[in-house]
Amino acid sequence: MSIDWLTICAEGQSGICTPAIQIAYVAGIIVALVLLVFIAVRSRDFSTATLALIPVAIAINLAVGSLIVTLRLPIYLDSIGTVLVGALAGPWAGALTGILSNLIWSLLPVPGGAGPVAAFFAPVAGVIGLMAGFWAARGVFNLRTDDARIGGFLALAAGIVGAALSFLVIQATIGIPTLGADTTADDQNRFVLTGVVIMAIAVAVAWISRRSAFAFTAEDPRIRPYLTGATALFAFALVFALTRLFLGPTGWFSTIDGSDATFLGGLNLSSLALTDPAGLLVEAGIALLVAAAAVAWARRGDNARFFPVWIGGLTTGLVAAAISAPIAAGVFGGVTGGGTDAVVALFRTLGLNVFQSAFAQGLTSDPLDKTISYTVVFLILGALPLTVRTMFSRGETTIAD
Amino acid sequence: MSPDGPASITLSGVSVRYAGRREPALRDLDLSVAPGERLGIAGRTGAGKSTLALVAAGFVPRVVRARLTGQASLGDLPLTGSAGGALLGKTGIVFSTPANQLSASKLTVREELAFGLENLAVPRAEMDVRIDAILERLEIGHLAEREPFALSGGEQQRVAIASIVAMGTGVLVLDEPTAQLDPVGTATVGRLLAELAAGGTTILCAEHDPTILGGVDRCLVLDSGAAVTIDRPGRALGGAVLDPIGLTPPTLVRLAEMAGVDPVDAFDEAAIAVGLGATAVRSLAEMTADSRSGSASAAGWSARPGRPQVGIVVDALTHRYATGVEALRGVSLRIDPGEAVAIVGQNGSGKTTLVKHLNGLLRPTDGRVLLDGEDTLAVPVHSLAATVGFVFQNPDDQLFDRSVGREVAFGPRNLSRSPDEIALAVTDGLAAVGLEAQRTTNPYDLDLSLRKLVALASVLAMDPAALVLDEPTTGQDGPGVRRVGAIVDGWVAAGRTAIAITHDMEFAAEHFQRIVVMRAGLVVADGSPALVFAPSNVELLASAGLEPPPAARIGGRLGLGSTPTVKTLLAALSA
Amino acid sequence: MSTATGYYQTGSSWLHRRNPITKLLGVALALVATFVLPPIVLPVIGLIVVAIAWSTGLGRAIVRALRIPALLLASIVVVNALFFPGATDRLVSLGPLSVTREGLSFGLISAGRVLVSFLVLVTFLFTTLADDLLESLVARGASHRIAFVVLSAVQMVPRMQERAGSILDAQQARGLVVSGSLRQRAKALVPLIGPVLLGSLIDVRERTFALEARGFGARPGRSAYRVVADPPADRWLRLAILLGVVGVVVLALSGVLSR
Repeated sequence: MSIDWLTICAEGQSGICTPAIQIAYVAGIIVALVLLVFIAVRSRDFSTATLALIPVAIAINLAVGSLIVTLRLPIYLDSIGTVLVGALAGPWAGALTGILSNLIWSLLPVPGGAGPVAAFFAPVAGVIGLMAGFWAARGVFNLRTDDARIGGFLALAAGIVGAALSFLVIQATIGIPTLGADTTADDQNRFVLTGVVIMAIAVAVAWISRRSAFAFTAEDPRIRPYLTGATALFAFALVFALTRLFLGPTGWFSTIDGSDATFLGGLNLSSLALTDPAGLLVEAGIALLVAAAAVAWARRGDNARFFPVWIGGLTTGLVAAAISAPIAAGVFGGVTGGGTDAVVALFRTLGLNVFQSAFAQGLTSDPLDKTISYTVVFLILGALPLTVRTMFSRGETTIAD
Repeated sequence: MSPDGPASITLSGVSVRYAGRREPALRDLDLSVAPGERLGIAGRTGAGKSTLALVAAGFVPRVVRARLTGQASLGDLPLTGSAGGALLGKTGIVFSTPANQLSASKLTVREELAFGLENLAVPRAEMDVRIDAILERLEIGHLAEREPFALSGGEQQRVAIASIVAMGTGVLVLDEPTAQLDPVGTATVGRLLAELAAGGTTILCAEHDPTILGGVDRCLVLDSGAAVTIDRPGRALGGAVLDPIGLTPPTLVRLAEMAGVDPVDAFDEAAIAVGLGATAVRSLAEMTADSRSGSASAAGWSARPGRPQVGIVVDALTHRYATGVEALRGVSLRIDPGEAVAIVGQNGSGKTTLVKHLNGLLRPTDGRVLLDGEDTLAVPVHSLAATVGFVFQNPDDQLFDRSVGREVAFGPRNLSRSPDEIALAVTDGLAAVGLEAQRTTNPYDLDLSLRKLVALASVLAMDPAALVLDEPTTGQDGPGVRRVGAIVDGWVAAGRTAIAITHDMEFAAEHFQRIVVMRAGLVVADGSPALVFAPSNVELLASAGLEPPPAARIGGRLGLGSTPTVKTLLAALSA
Repeated sequence: MSTATGYYQTGSSWLHRRNPITKLLGVALALVATFVLPPIVLPVIGLIVVAIAWSTGLGRAIVRALRIPALLLASIVVVNALFFPGATDRLVSLGPLSVTREGLSFGLISAGRVLVSFLVLVTFLFTTLADDLLESLVARGASHRIAFVVLSAVQMVPRMQERAGSILDAQQARGLVVSGSLRQRAKALVPLIGPVLLGSLIDVRERTFALEARGFGARPGRSAYRVVADPPADRWLRLAILLGVVGVVVLALSGVLSR
């Protein structure tokens, strides 16, 4: 019995292929099936209001999504309706909205409809709906800035920071092996080991900080300043990472050295790639300025309330990227015919394989996309009249006043 | 089929308070509606009409989260249970937005009518019998195989009502069912209700429209959630009841009161004409004082000077949509600066298509539109916004900001006006529509009729040279209509151009110096209200689905010539 | 083509007359074969699908529908052919880029699978009314509430697009600039998306009332009005298709075709 040709090859060679992708792929199918069974069971409890809401939310997903597809922007915003349903009617209704949206988007002559592509990402959309319901139940959309539950979000943020830092440290010291056709068994083990270590650090940081620094009591005076600090820290990390990506010694500008005459007419921007430590100072300076602006912003009124919303969006985006990468790589060779294809192509020129570039592309757009979607939903829910809110089972408990 | 026996509605001491609201929506209401009775519910916006409708439909607290105290029952069934099973197929409700009344899941009207029967688990064999019976009885057989969403608003409302009646429902509740319909649609829904009541259906109908309210058996008037009176419509809608709560009696009732006609006949035009003819001896001064009825409360609009005036020329305009529908078939109009023009006609006659050319939203298939001699094709839409302010029919297409004040500032900000100018424009705009107190309120916490005023204020704040209003008075109560009228009057007094599409002939006759009648993409009549609403024009108007305003009809009966407004009617009477 | 019926084209071909469940099983068979069998049989599957599509008399419409995935297909082939790390066998070089054999074959296989799946789905959608499909699924035990959600969504989509259109008009009439620089377009996003979301959520309230008034919330039994034809021949056809699926999987696992 030979099933070689069944494997989804990362490198396109006809030899043995990366098992991690296959496992993820099968797992995706299983997740989708389990989800469907659960939703079918749960749908019996959906109220009439929920059943009236879901078709509207699906239409919203498609209307906004097709607008973005037409504009060819590197984001999707096609899950606003899904997140909305998750917040108003719970995770299972959200999951149903996501799955049906993607299926219907494939099966209807919608302008900008991406043909059969969207259907394959239905499990991803389902998980987005589930997570939106999960986060809404944990108060993402209605936390006051003096709520003790904020501690959980700060701890989660600390965990994410811990993971990112340990990743950077490990990469800079012992190095993280890349997986490819020529990967040795030793490398594979090391790859898995580093992954486990990073995860363990993240969990430990989150767990310990939740029980120490972020163990708040109700109306704790520390919550507001902590939130402000966290907002600033995240702004700093984001801007620093971005400037580093472009301006770092091996950053994007360093690759534009005029050697490719077809790109921007052979423009040489490599002088913009700053050498360390001067560059490091410049990048940190820019990030500090942005962080200061973030502090000023977060101290105004209740703006710090956005932090839990963003944590919800960010984590949803990370999960979405992780699930969609194997689908993108396995079914479409990483190409979906949308605005994100250019990003995939860019990563592949940088030497990543199909799976890695699909995942990297997901990481560059999904967290940002879901964070924007969560923010939009947060604002919309705030503007929703009371009469509409109270129609839904969770409307009152998940929305801020 | 007939309803499952006679159904009566009884409310005793019913109060309702919505979750999160301090003030109750209904206060200690007692009501008894006999089987087969038609009850009208009148009152200002926010007086509790919709809440009462929801209670009668058995939706409180089962579907709508609110606290209800007191007793409400349908026959001997409680209306306030938390399970809907017992009430299923006994009481049903229809609201004002036609497209929202359909299940949105069926391809034909026939299947739409079957939707309720499916949920009642009616056997397949019986469904066709019931559907055929209802199609015939309500005279909608010709719609049976049409697609529900492709129907006109009036047809959709009739299908929605039919689909509830098809379930064998004995009580039909309606919440402003004609608010978004044209006169033809309103008339057909009115006839349908009369037909249903004759067949034994109990009807509760909240409305502003006098043609519907005039036809009920009794009328309940609500104010701030409490019952003011319940009586025959001629008395309940009289000045003695409505004036103290800020509402205006319908024109026919006002005229009947002046003529001293028995309130039983207050909607009988022949009786009113006879009565008025007999009382012509009363002094004109006394009567005109009566007829003013509180228009002083509306602030109007005081335009800042210095805006250039604009003249509009529409030249042989044709518009064909991508679907192949020819909405305009050669329209020529010349609107001078400072003119007030009302465009009237049935839905689908091309009114909205015409005005959408005035600010460049639609491009002519043939012909030209000139603003001050300049072709609109040459200017982008957002630049024309400064010249032609356009208020859309549905305010929900425009409102998005978190407060009324910010919403009104959106337009002037797009036009890059200075902060001082914007602040002044917002204050003026809100004052004109009377929403100063709601400046920081979320627009969507206001009723639809108030949201319409917010959208109007947001366009006023842009200070355009010409104002285009699409159905500005739908869903407005008496004071709301007067407000919009005062704004139009002030606008024109400042020498600017006002154009309105309207189904309200009385509003058109009172506030516009020129009426343009459209039918099937063509202008069929154009002139002063006196000219267009003259008795000789009744047939032409009928062919466009219109009827002259009540004062003109009474004047016609008395042979007084053309009397489009109450004022001209009284003047003609005293002459 | 009516907006509320999606891709469906009225007709009376032999495929139109089949029971929707039969056609759904057929789609499953074709998709399993496309993705599970080795690429070498892809052209054969493709030819069979095209022959079936052509026999319905909708061949032209289906060919026209191919413009939908055209960009995707081209994208899959080009990106893989040009950017395939680890590929060494260069066929053509275009300046800094070169088409590789490995990339091209991977791209062509991926694109071929997508193309065949698309043809299968489009043929199914052109000949099957969503209402019929869902009603037969409900008759076989699927949730009628989910069926309602799907049918309602199908009808809502064109209406939502209409609504988005009138919102675009209404905001432009308030001076909103919707074209121009990226910054201007980004600023236009909230005034455009805001009313779409809020307006339709407000409508949900009335739509809920309308459904409640028609007994949708109650849960006794439910009867069905729409009758879906199920010719006797379909029973045998369904059995044959199920056997076909088993056959394809066995064939794939045995590896006969890949040697």
